[in-house]
Amino acid sequence: MSDDGAVGEERPVLSVRNLVKHFPITEGVLRREVGRVRAVDGISFDVYPGETLGLVGESGCGKSTAALSLLRLEEPTDGEVSYRGESVTDYDSGELKAFRREAQMIFQDPTSSFDPRMPVGQSVAEPLLVHGMADRRRRRGIVENLLERVGLSASDYDRYPHEFSGGQKQRIAIARALVVNPDLVVADEPVSALDVSVQAEILGLLEDVQDEFGLSILFISHDMAVVREVCDRVAVMYLGEIVETGPTVDIFEEPQHPYTRALLASVPSIDPRRRGEGVELSGDVPSPSNPPAGCRFHTRCPEIIQPEGYDFDQQNWRAVMDLRVRLEQGTLDLDAAREFAVAEGEATDPEAVTREELARAVRDEFSIPPELTDHRAERVLQDALSSLVDGEADAARDLLADEFETICEREHPDLRDTEAGHPAACHLHREAVEADAVRSQTPED
Amino acid sequence: MATESGDPERFEDVDWDELGGLAVPRRTLAFVASLVAYALLLGYDYLLVAEDQPTIPVAGWNVTAVDWLFLLTLLAIVFYGVVPLVVNRRLTVHYWHQFRKNRAAVVSLVYLLVIFVVGTVGTAFIEPPQLDTLAAYQPPVYSSVPADVPVSCAGEVVDGRCQGTWAHPFGTTGQGKDILKMVVFGMEVSMQVGLIATFITIVLATAVGTTAAYLGGYVDEVLMRYVDIQLTFPTFFLYLLLVYLFGGSLFLLILIFGLTGWGAIARLVRSEALQRSEEEFVRAAKGAGASTPYVIWRHLVPNVSNTVITAATLLIPSLILAEAALSFLGLGDPTVPSWGRVIADGRGDLSSAWWISTIPGFFLFFTILAFNFLGDALRDALDPRQEGGE
Repeated sequence: MSDDGAVGEERPVLSVRNLVKHFPITEGVLRREVGRVRAVDGISFDVYPGETLGLVGESGCGKSTAALSLLRLEEPTDGEVSYRGESVTDYDSGELKAFRREAQMIFQDPTSSFDPRMPVGQSVAEPLLVHGMADRRRRRGIVENLLERVGLSASDYDRYPHEFSGGQKQRIAIARALVVNPDLVVADEPVSALDVSVQAEILGLLEDVQDEFGLSILFISHDMAVVREVCDRVAVMYLGEIVETGPTVDIFEEPQHPYTRALLASVPSIDPRRRGEGVELSGDVPSPSNPPAGCRFHTRCPEIIQPEGYDFDQQNWRAVMDLRVRLEQGTLDLDAAREFAVAEGEATDPEAVTREELARAVRDEFSIPPELTDHRAERVLQDALSSLVDGEADAARDLLADEFETICEREHPDLRDTEAGHPAACHLHREAVEADAVRSQTPED
Repeated sequence: MATESGDPERFEDVDWDELGGLAVPRRTLAFVASLVAYALLLGYDYLLVAEDQPTIPVAGWNVTAVDWLFLLTLLAIVFYGVVPLVVNRRLTVHYWHQFRKNRAAVVSLVYLLVIFVVGTVGTAFIEPPQLDTLAAYQPPVYSSVPADVPVSCAGEVVDGRCQGTWAHPFGTTGQGKDILKMVVFGMEVSMQVGLIATFITIVLATAVGTTAAYLGGYVDEVLMRYVDIQLTFPTFFLYLLLVYLFGGSLFLLILIFGLTGWGAIARLVRSEALQRSEEEFVRAAKGAGASTPYVIWRHLVPNVSNTVITAATLLIPSLILAEAALSFLGLGDPTVPSWGRVIADGRGDLSSAWWISTIPGFFLFFTILAFNFLGDALRDALDPRQEGGE
């Protein structure tokens, strides 16, 4: 494996640098590009021999696209993927075919990952056939042996996918990935479609084969509990970017990014000391076709940095930010707020709601308290709300944006080393956060 | 890497560098071999045998262009219809259980098999109907007509009515041709038109539909826009023009039907293939290193076969009907005893000799009906939504 130079330090099996995958949104016959979905927007990581790297994040954050692009099952838009020092992105079709033997993939949905019209044995044997093993009996022998080793029986060769349970199919999927004896396996949510009891079996099998064959695994999951079980290192993804990466223990003990903390809070814990750390994310995941400026997580971040010169209670600051996000999106519905006021018993019909009542209803909707502790901030908010109830949503939006501007929406944070020792991409870890914002970096948009 | 002492070979022992080349399934090999034999025979017929001489002197059979196409169609049906049914017996049994639920379709299948066998094999053993003016207008057996209708009554004349005989069970035409024989030869024509044109259609439609769906982008755009153009093309006038230029011929008719009628099915196949190609097994095959033709042939085509088979069984009757209609209008092949032509021949004698038009009409009607029943039942039996629940 490690041949020249690298003494002591192991060289990565797979190395991904600034991988980008954008899907163009086209219109009309001429396929004019009107926008792009930035599914993966510049991610970098390494997978070392024999290790399991977890790639975690919510659904739709680009994990699966990243996996497909790095295996070139989708052509990456930009960036560099190298396998044992060779550039995968520069492979011609012959080299790519040879690479397919080295790197295999396990898919999420065991039902759709097998051809319903092909006996599963043939599906498992397919990579052998594709790579030139012409002898039917030999293929059959190898596959029957392999099926037994993943916990099925040789006679299952001739059965069809619908005759198996989800867990059995995932065993067969592992067999199909193993049959060409790869060095790297990309497992895309391999257990998320399975019952918890079956999950443990499949994860155990995956671990066994990893130990036996020294596989490197890129393990993609949204389930932090599973990731803690199987991964050596973790990279956390949000909206196409990696926001934190480090050894699993460090990530779970000392998460440095608010998003990681939110993800971890979603894992049920039996440790009483860890109770009450629940973090609830507000708002929806933004669309990757129009990601938020600055830090992509600022629209939902519970720890978003406060604007200079104001002193909010953090929870209230988040609530005000939620109002701002909605105003930016233009999805704030005043009529709904009127209905709400009526439902609260403040007025008899939507038309009769006064300006003050309406402003109060808006505050209620976003859980902003009737009065903020910071008087200057309260004054700004009152002005904005009165513009809003007068129907001047744009004025309200601009006022709030001017007064309550935060570094999180202005500047894009880069991955940098934190006090915990592993890198995270968050302005909280910037030395001069509370000091004047450094404007030397050009804001990203 | 040899397997020793009967131990099964393990995947990690495979020496990948020693492998290589193309692994071709046995069925494909056999099909290619028979195609080569077919091509050799075809070459022999066209290069070495004079046009008016029989290709197979012993049987006295001069193989025509239509016969050659029909042979090719049958070869494909055997290799990609019958053989898979025999090999995947469990799947066949499953489909048969589904199919059997529809009684009308089972009866239709039997009827069509009889028509097919009699039409293809039977015609080799019976003489073509001969012109015989003395035997004109004989009524069918168990029926009678006034004695002055036939030129000379072949059976008994009772009470001034000519009785039908077993010599001509379905009676004869105004030219004295035996209608039973005409019907049997008509079966061959109908089967040839229906099967060959449908074969050409589904090959083209499947190839275009799956390719467009899988490759997408500009390939999809170009292929599907061509299909749009083809669907608006007035095929009937093209056929009229060609009949005017070259005279009516069955070969021409079949080619026109086959080469211009696949657009709608290609669209159906494309939409089905689009769904299928989004599924993970296609990605898995690609991830295993499979080439585009491999994925299309081994994964997409089998998975759109339900759509194709159903569309084909519903296409066959419309083609048979179209051929009969063209023949009825006198635009068909004058040398071929098509049902449509016999119906047209008897049109003027309907008041005196009802059987000439009616009997081929019955066969035409029931054949169309049977294909429609068959298509409906196949659609139900092959419906993927029912799969899995055995």
